Amino acid sequence: MNISSYKRKAISTTAIVVVIIIVLVVAAVAAYYAVGGPSTTSSTTSSHSSSTSPTYKNKIIVGTTDTVQTTLDPADAYDYFGISMIQNLGDGLVDYRPGTSQYVPALATSWSVSPDGATWNFTLRQGVKFADGTAFNATAVKYSVDRQFAIQEAAGPFVGAGIGGTGAQCCGVINSTKVLGPYLIQFKLNQPFTSFLGMMAFATMYPVEPKLAPMPAHPHPGTNEGVINYTGNVATENPNQLGPYILSAWQRSAGKDVEIDLTANPNYWNASGGYPKTPNIVISFYSDSASLALAVKTGAVDIAYRQLAATDVQSDETNSALKVWTGPGTFIQYLVFNENVPAFQHQLVREAVAAAVNRTLIDNTVFLGQAEPLYSMIPNGMIYHTDAFQTDYGNANTAKAKSLLTQAGYSTTNKLIVNLTYPTGHYTSTDLISSALKQSLEATGMVTVNLLNQPWSSYKSSTANGQLQAYIYGWYPDYLDPYDYSFPFFPANGVGFLYTHWTNSTASDLLTQISGTSSSTQLTTMYTQLQNIVAQAAPVVPLFQGTSIAVSSPKVSGIVLDVTTNFRYWLLQETT
Amino acid sequence: MGLRDYVIIRVLLTIPLVLILLSVVFLLIRVLPGNPCLLKFEHNVNPQLLATCESSLGLNKPLYVQFVDYFLGLFRGNLGLSMVDFQPVSAQILSRFPATLELVLYSFMVAVIVGILLGSLGATRRGSVTDGAVKVIGILLYSWPVFFLGLIFQLIFGVYLNWLPTGGRLCAGCQVPQGLTIGSVHIQTGLYTVDSILAGNLPDLVDSVRHLILPALTLGLVISGVFIRITRTNMLETLRADYVTAARARGLKDRTVVYGYALRNALLPVVTVMGLQFALLLSGAVLTETEFNIDGIGRFLVDRVNFLDYTAIQGAVVFIAILIATVALFIDILYAYLDPRVRL
Repeated sequence: MNISSYKRKAISTTAIVVVIIIVLVVAAVAAYYAVGGPSTTSSTTSSHSSSTSPTYKNKIIVGTTDTVQTTLDPADAYDYFGISMIQNLGDGLVDYRPGTSQYVPALATSWSVSPDGATWNFTLRQGVKFADGTAFNATAVKYSVDRQFAIQEAAGPFVGAGIGGTGAQCCGVINSTKVLGPYLIQFKLNQPFTSFLGMMAFATMYPVEPKLAPMPAHPHPGTNEGVINYTGNVATENPNQLGPYILSAWQRSAGKDVEIDLTANPNYWNASGGYPKTPNIVISFYSDSASLALAVKTGAVDIAYRQLAATDVQSDETNSALKVWTGPGTFIQYLVFNENVPAFQHQLVREAVAAAVNRTLIDNTVFLGQAEPLYSMIPNGMIYHTDAFQTDYGNANTAKAKSLLTQAGYSTTNKLIVNLTYPTGHYTSTDLISSALKQSLEATGMVTVNLLNQPWSSYKSSTANGQLQAYIYGWYPDYLDPYDYSFPFFPANGVGFLYTHWTNSTASDLLTQISGTSSSTQLTTMYTQLQNIVAQAAPVVPLFQGTSIAVSSPKVSGIVLDVTTNFRYWLLQETT
Repeated sequence: MGLRDYVIIRVLLTIPLVLILLSVVFLLIRVLPGNPCLLKFEHNVNPQLLATCESSLGLNKPLYVQFVDYFLGLFRGNLGLSMVDFQPVSAQILSRFPATLELVLYSFMVAVIVGILLGSLGATRRGSVTDGAVKVIGILLYSWPVFFLGLIFQLIFGVYLNWLPTGGRLCAGCQVPQGLTIGSVHIQTGLYTVDSILAGNLPDLVDSVRHLILPALTLGLVISGVFIRITRTNMLETLRADYVTAARARGLKDRTVVYGYALRNALLPVVTVMGLQFALLLSGAVLTETEFNIDGIGRFLVDRVNFLDYTAIQGAVVFIAILIATVALFIDILYAYLDPRVRL
């Protein structure tokens, strides 16, 4: 090849490539606009068309950073999002009225309790059908409870929340069930339990479709044998068939959700009431709060719910193209002392720390005012809550802290050393919370705080092994009741999952009495006493209570964020 | 040594490399406190049940037995079951791989095109303002953290201009491109751009390309910094070579001399660096996938580390190591083919 022919070839090749690229780009852009963008993003309207009433979209896209951590089986799901899905795909005998913590009939129309508080009878709603048309009755309820007893997944909620158990996992609240009639079911309890309705409203107690949730042939309680796992086939992986929606698509990749599609259940018992409001819900999953915040800002999702960073929420509040929804949260976070550590065996030291904690600082600097200071392990707004820690210590009470530390033998030259460990990769902003705690305690001039952190993957085992001295934990309730904010933290042996090693026989006795008492007067007295004991001994120090926050397009309505933390997709609507 | 012998030796060297890496990972993740069973149980669990869980995952066996078991499985091509959801790790990795491959391929294209264009532009205008700008851009891109560049792009093109999506591979609610079915044969690569072309679905193609632009630009531009600097340096060398002077003396146009002669020769070292940059691309993909919400191998690895899913972590590391070793091998063979001195 001579030089001139080479030259001609080089030029023509370049020219051809450029022309091809231009043609492809122009064709793609033209075609894109010709078809009006991706077909499935186009809005479709519902049939309520009239010249005056608004028309609604028949599909809403919700973005979240959550994921179903295990399965959609009530015998197994024990994570926020898994339970949230079950709450929208299934239904319980009892539910909460949206926006309140008031019990309302759902699959049961009424209920009664025996005078001793240990036997409950539920009358079921008649005419209810599973999504495939099979009739729902008391046998299905008994089957669902018996199946829970057969499985007893050790990491699941049935055992974890103390609902039931046998053998090594004995015993929870429920002893047995009995079918008294086609629509009458009886629950026998091991002991009176005043929070039983709360337990029945918990997703774990939602009845399953027996055909989709077979009883394990050879039960090995404690293992996950018999649990309905993700299979990639929506016809078999969701045993919840009584709720407002059915699972129409569940795209999951390597244990993380990519997309979940919900479609209105035509056999939903309350379909005649107009529910669900929007027939199709698409749930799109995001890797972190920053991605989710961008998605709602750009309109890629209609609603962003859990978890958004405080800074993003703050900026969204001033964005007229977005609407910020807030509601009470049930998540609490608290500081824990390991009383096997000599310094924290000293009650005066724990009290001093409780006095020095500046909750306002945490709320303002970490959550930009989007959290609530917490002065009891029972959250604000919940029945029997008292601000026991505020009464005893106030907030950021440096003078009191100094006085207590002096009594304990510490001074500005002989400082208390606090090795404070926080977990990473689980709760949000624990690094900032810990920094605020350090600032609070060091404001006394008599404390030095060393901040340490551990990934969540090793945090719990380090707690169990006694390697942590002062550390941070959080809590979401299993069911909405002060008992679920008391019993798990203060077991009689002082171990539980917090490993405080704090024991108090009066507190243990109170908890035993509380579980069997129905008188609200007595409960008020007992819970007040319990909270006072905890505040005085300070084995844990409550820090803050989170708030529920969602951000949406201003066209969205029906978002209800209440103490139940149940995100009701079936109430959502969006105008076109 | 012939090319065949060279290839055989390189392949044989790759095997101990992967095994050593895997051994290190195997031991390191087990040094961390805790294990998947302790992490699984939220509450204080009965020790008997904990023992059952550990037994079912083989964690109760001595470490050397676990080590031998795992490697025996590996030699049979079995990466084991995930310790979190008990699904085959190989299937999980393969389900995530197309997303990473698609991102890496397009990023690589961006990196090579930008790197070579800017590098050669700087070299041909040595000492000019353009050259200075190219040098600064090269350093900036190389030193810029990938997540920061991604965030800037997301804000500008996603939020302010609203031109491009800021995450995901397709719009929410859109169907995954199904590829092509010919008779009983179904072809679906998992690369959405390819599958939408195979399916003849232009809206899906446009949508998948729109979703790829920002992550591919982000990762590609960061990687292009190296290419810019290497291309420029090598171009400067070759432009001083005798054959370039001779070509100019023959009266060839400068454009032909630069792009027809000098650039081609200057690209040889760039090809070598491509292999190394591929490894960097994969590590950058971990951050890019997280930032742009792409379910690839990178996010898989991060997620599984959080769950201490030993088998999944090992599987992902083996997969990535083999991938990098294969690409490096391919580049070496290509180079050996092009430059026989390597085989001496």
